[in-house]
Amino acid sequence: MQTQVVVESDRYPPGDLAIWIFILAELAAFGAFFGAYAFTRMQNVEMFNHYQSMLDSDAALINTFALITSSYFVVRAVASIRDNNNQGCVRWLLAALVMGALFLVVKSQEYAHHINEGITLSTNTFYMFYLSLTFFHFMHVIMGMVILAAVAVKAKRGGYSSQQHTGVETGASYWHMVDLVWLILFPLVYVMR
Amino acid sequence: MKKRVVLGIRACTWVWLIMMSLTLVTYLIGQFGLGGLSASLTVLGFALLKGQMVGDYFMGLKRIQGFWRWPVSLWLFIPGGLVGIAFTLVG
Repeated sequence: MQTQVVVESDRYPPGDLAIWIFILAELAAFGAFFGAYAFTRMQNVEMFNHYQSMLDSDAALINTFALITSSYFVVRAVASIRDNNNQGCVRWLLAALVMGALFLVVKSQEYAHHINEGITLSTNTFYMFYLSLTFFHFMHVIMGMVILAAVAVKAKRGGYSSQQHTGVETGASYWHMVDLVWLILFPLVYVMR
Repeated sequence: MKKRVVLGIRACTWVWLIMMSLTLVTYLIGQFGLGGLSASLTVLGFALLKGQMVGDYFMGLKRIQGFWRWPVSLWLFIPGGLVGIAFTLVG
């Protein structure tokens, strides 16, 4: 087993500190949503389990793979720019954006299916939570993709270097937050019963 | 900058592989119709573990000292704990 380790510690997380304040606020909102879902479910366990079983868990699996993989690609993009590799950074960011687009396409197909079935926020409590939680997250994915695209454009123009890449780390931190939220949302809404 | 290579593979690649594997197991638990408290808590545990891995290795918080080391872990602990309690109370 061959292991190479170079460790350094820091007092502040990667990226602009302002994005971390924003990330904590977003996480608090999603956390409250998750708690509300779980405690509301206590009053309607059978109904929640019934409608949960009608969701497309295959689509959810694909989307979870897509977001985890996109997050990994973003990690590689940050590593590339730290190595002063602008082109590598752009390529990894584009790969992450492709994964983000895959998420949006699959999730949109799920929504189209629900709309065709006449399912809305007022259908029942489960769908109220499911639709509002997943759509809230869906909007964050779009926001994250806009940020990553802006970072990729700047990186393409040589706007970052190994010494100055706070923008890449800031975009990456936001995107990891989007992934983090989905990692809890997926089992909670699609699997746990 | 932190670089870590284990068995010739970057640590972040190992983390990605582990998270993909835990996701597949979570999906299979759902596909096999495994319900009840133990299955739910197992799945929740996998999710919290994956979340911690995102915080530690993808967000890079593992090497942070002081206040900023803990918010993501705390976020996983509080909503995760609430979800766990809610599922435990209904058995």
